[in-house]
Amino acid sequence: MLKMIHLSKVYRTEVVETYALRDFSIHVKEGEFVAVTGPSGSGKTTFLTIAGLLEEFTGGQYQLDGADVHGLNDNQRSRLRNQKIGFIFQSFNLIPDLNVFDNVDVPLRYRRLPGAERRKRINESLERVGLSARAKHYPAELSGGQQQRVAIARALAGSPRLLLADEPTGNLDSQMARGVMQLLEELHRDGATIVMVTHDPELAARAQREVRIVDGQVIDLAAQTRLVGEPQPRPGV
Amino acid sequence: MMGYYIRLAIRGLRRNVALTALMIVAVGVGIGASMTMLTTLRAMSADPIPDKDSKLFVPQIDTWGPDSRHGEQDDRLQDQLSYGDAMALMRAHRGARQTAMYAVSMDVSPEGAAAGTATSAKPFQASGRAAYNDFFSMFEVPFRSGGPWGAVDDEHGANVVVLSGRLADRVFPGTDAVGKTISLDGRDYRVVGVLKPWSPLPHYYDLTQSAFTAMEDFYLPFAMAIDRHLESYGNNNCRAAPSPGWEGRLNSDCVWLQFWVELPGAAAARDYRAFLANYAAQQRLSGRFHWTDRVELHDVREWMVQNKVVSDEVKVNTMIGAGVLAVCLINAIGLMLAKLASRAADLGIRRALGGSRRDIFLQCMSETAVVGLLGGVLGLVLTAVGLAANRALLAPVAKHISLDSLTRLDTGMVGITLAVAIFSTLCAGLYPTWRATSVQPAWQLKAG
Amino acid sequence: MEILPILSALRRNKVGAVLIALQIALTLAIVCNALPVIQRHLERMRRPTGIDESNIFTLNNQWVGQPQDLRSRIKGDLATVRGSPGVIDAVETDSFPLHGGGSSAGLFLAPEQKFPTAHTAQYLVDEHGFATYGLKLEAGRWFTADEIGEMQPHDTKVPGSIVITRNLAHALFPSVSALGQMVYMDTRAAPSRIIGIVERAQTPWAGFSWAESFIENSTFMPYEFLYKGQYFVVRTRPGQMAGAMQAVQNRLFAQSHQRVIDDVQPFAESRKDTYAVPRATSVLLTVVCAVMLAVTILGVTGLTMYWVTQRRRQIGMRRALGARQRDVLRYFQVENLLIAGSGVAAGVVLGLIGNLWLARHLELARMGVGYICAGGAIVLVFSQAAVLWPALRAARVPPAAAIRAL
Repeated sequence: MLKMIHLSKVYRTEVVETYALRDFSIHVKEGEFVAVTGPSGSGKTTFLTIAGLLEEFTGGQYQLDGADVHGLNDNQRSRLRNQKIGFIFQSFNLIPDLNVFDNVDVPLRYRRLPGAERRKRINESLERVGLSARAKHYPAELSGGQQQRVAIARALAGSPRLLLADEPTGNLDSQMARGVMQLLEELHRDGATIVMVTHDPELAARAQREVRIVDGQVIDLAAQTRLVGEPQPRPGV
Repeated sequence: MMGYYIRLAIRGLRRNVALTALMIVAVGVGIGASMTMLTTLRAMSADPIPDKDSKLFVPQIDTWGPDSRHGEQDDRLQDQLSYGDAMALMRAHRGARQTAMYAVSMDVSPEGAAAGTATSAKPFQASGRAAYNDFFSMFEVPFRSGGPWGAVDDEHGANVVVLSGRLADRVFPGTDAVGKTISLDGRDYRVVGVLKPWSPLPHYYDLTQSAFTAMEDFYLPFAMAIDRHLESYGNNNCRAAPSPGWEGRLNSDCVWLQFWVELPGAAAARDYRAFLANYAAQQRLSGRFHWTDRVELHDVREWMVQNKVVSDEVKVNTMIGAGVLAVCLINAIGLMLAKLASRAADLGIRRALGGSRRDIFLQCMSETAVVGLLGGVLGLVLTAVGLAANRALLAPVAKHISLDSLTRLDTGMVGITLAVAIFSTLCAGLYPTWRATSVQPAWQLKAG
Repeated sequence: MEILPILSALRRNKVGAVLIALQIALTLAIVCNALPVIQRHLERMRRPTGIDESNIFTLNNQWVGQPQDLRSRIKGDLATVRGSPGVIDAVETDSFPLHGGGSSAGLFLAPEQKFPTAHTAQYLVDEHGFATYGLKLEAGRWFTADEIGEMQPHDTKVPGSIVITRNLAHALFPSVSALGQMVYMDTRAAPSRIIGIVERAQTPWAGFSWAESFIENSTFMPYEFLYKGQYFVVRTRPGQMAGAMQAVQNRLFAQSHQRVIDDVQPFAESRKDTYAVPRATSVLLTVVCAVMLAVTILGVTGLTMYWVTQRRRQIGMRRALGARQRDVLRYFQVENLLIAGSGVAAGVVLGLIGNLWLARHLELARMGVGYICAGGAIVLVFSQAAVLWPALRAARVPPAAAIRAL
């Protein structure tokens, strides 16, 4: 599902070169629930943004759901993002102007789905996260946990192949956090592929397996399944 | 999708009312100022007869020679012709249609009333025009009832008259004046036609007086006016003193007649110019002119340019109006930048959720378009106010002529105003929108 | 104050600063060029005609039909009008200052001269003309009753004596006194003697650009205007115009009904009519300039306000590091001074260029550099005032804003 081979991401200024990711490889199979952990500044967020096609990478290869993302233009990346990936952010990132229903609607609009189809999906998603009753409420009227659940509904509505979560419980108190994690585990049981970035080892433990990043590179862990035996990567993009 | 964007736009604008209001006011004021100036320009420079402006011509002859232009800033020939030259041109009949004409003034005595009894029946003075009947077809003068006098009346100068709607309503209220008799300067004339409201601004067929000269109220056969020795109430220029009396005037080189000819095409115009040159040559050979032949033939547009109908001042005013629009739009750009920058997070989320740059672009431009539309509406209101103020200030002039084209917003102008508002706002919005779309989605999220 | 850091911070944030500077530059340039136009209009409208405007009214009289005894009718009318209550004196004539129409001619110094030395308007008056118009005599005398002849429209008589305006006298005889000199109105006829010079009398065509060159050149000719239609110029005693206007009309009608009287209006109305268009233009331009200034000022305020909000954290940081409220205020004022200053500089240059262009095409007097700089200074002051409120808001940002969103 998500395959990165010897990926690197370099930030270059006039004076200095910073490697956010260096020779980074990871393979997440369909249906897996993987936690990516590491200290602050280790590159986990960079990994997530590249995985989510939000940023370009400097070297290596990235295959999403079997397709190589090398050389895609902005339009193609946006479409891919829209169709294959669902995001769950630490700070929910709901649009404050729109109510719950319209928030979940946003990615569906970009897919140009007809109105009836959209409404069906939205209602199903909201049902799934248990917030159907709040469809007309605005984010400001909801608790943190509820907002995150709306974000999850938004991520689900498009039937993505991959859920990318960045510290999904970072801004929640322990009770709400529990609720959100439960939801994620449910989704996993129902067959979702989830990659979760977190610095909380407790949270990471609830995933299926853990990948640890330090200084932009993967640290070998006992739980890591077989490394990729892939053909040589193409030269840097 | 566009409907979705429009709804989002309206919602977004409502969120920050102060900023939105500022933007709408900026656009509205700019549009209002520039459109007010533009309407004036349009009124003064509007082609008065667009479907014929290349078919109507003014022939000019160098009646007095280059010495008469000594010390003048330009080298223009006289705008009018002498009686002799005008009659020669009429007799030659080289144009499809043609007319000599001049402004006259006569007393109107309302029918059947002893002068001075009732106020409404007091005699009054009216301005008119002596012309040939071709005048009406040449200048597409619209008739309410009746029509121009016939060829026989034209040739022999019969006692017939065509009235303006305004004069007809005043003297014959409530009835059709055609067929009735009206007393002008103590003589009876039969009304053969009544005109619909017709007040071309500018008064292009006679520019020898100010652009705001009163519109004429009646038309008489030229031959009859000459027979009656009707004085010209228009511009009369003499280089040398004419012999005394009416005959002296007709035989002199004083120029006091306007002359127009209708020529169907470029070939006919060339022929006429050749004919004019020939005529001038004849005058020289006969000893009347002692200078190099010089003739000119200008169509309506050239004529208006030559006579500086659109004065330089109107042009300057228009440029100032455009400058105001520019300032207001620059203002709007700044405001839009501010607005979009504060929405950066919002737009970043949408990018992350699959919005392409194009989607963001369309969304922002929709917002811009809505602002442009609202600004345009405000601009329309302000333009109407500006034009009304202009009309009030020009009230003394409005006594004589209809200022409608100058001060009224017709549907055409409304459309143009809204189009200009939306278009210019969209242009102003291009840079802020481009800035908004080119921010990487990732940055927004990291900060969040 | 630390100008350089402010400048370098601005350079990183170019666009907003450029927008403000551009607005200011354009506004200044436009206002600098609209003002001379307005000024010229106002100057022209203010010029005195040289006659007693506040006490003069005019009316138009047309006899119905073609009366044969015009001479006695006109004499009777004049007697009636001059004898009306409140009337000082009156003339009947074909035209008067600011009327918009009339006769003009060229004047020659010698019969063999090919081109006229000067152009002049021609006014027909009788011996009462001087008192009627309230003219000021500089030299010589006015016409006497026995010098007055008769003139019909398009008559080509030449008067034996004329009274001219001072301007015309200078134009004809720059180095000697014009009094007593002979000039030719028609090189093929006898010359006319200048028997009097009055201080001032404008031509009928004030407000027409083609007549600007000789607007102060008028010649009074001793003729009664013999035509079925004429204007009466009537001078009244101060404060009695309204009554006199009515009385004159009543008495004229009582004299005879066979006439049409209209266009009865005080001279002030004629002045308004003549200058209606330039007045409208001036008002329009003034309003437009004021509006543009307002929009620019509002824009400066709005944009600066936005910057303050954007930089809350930064401002809080500065305060946390020891800046006083006054320092923050000064920062924003200095920043605005730099931006507006460059805008004003650009605007002065643009304004001068525009001025040159206008001077060439519209023959407007060039606006002095001093004026333009004064305009720039005013805009700068306005701009600083505009930024005061946002700057005060900025000064009130608490230091804690560096850490938390407040």
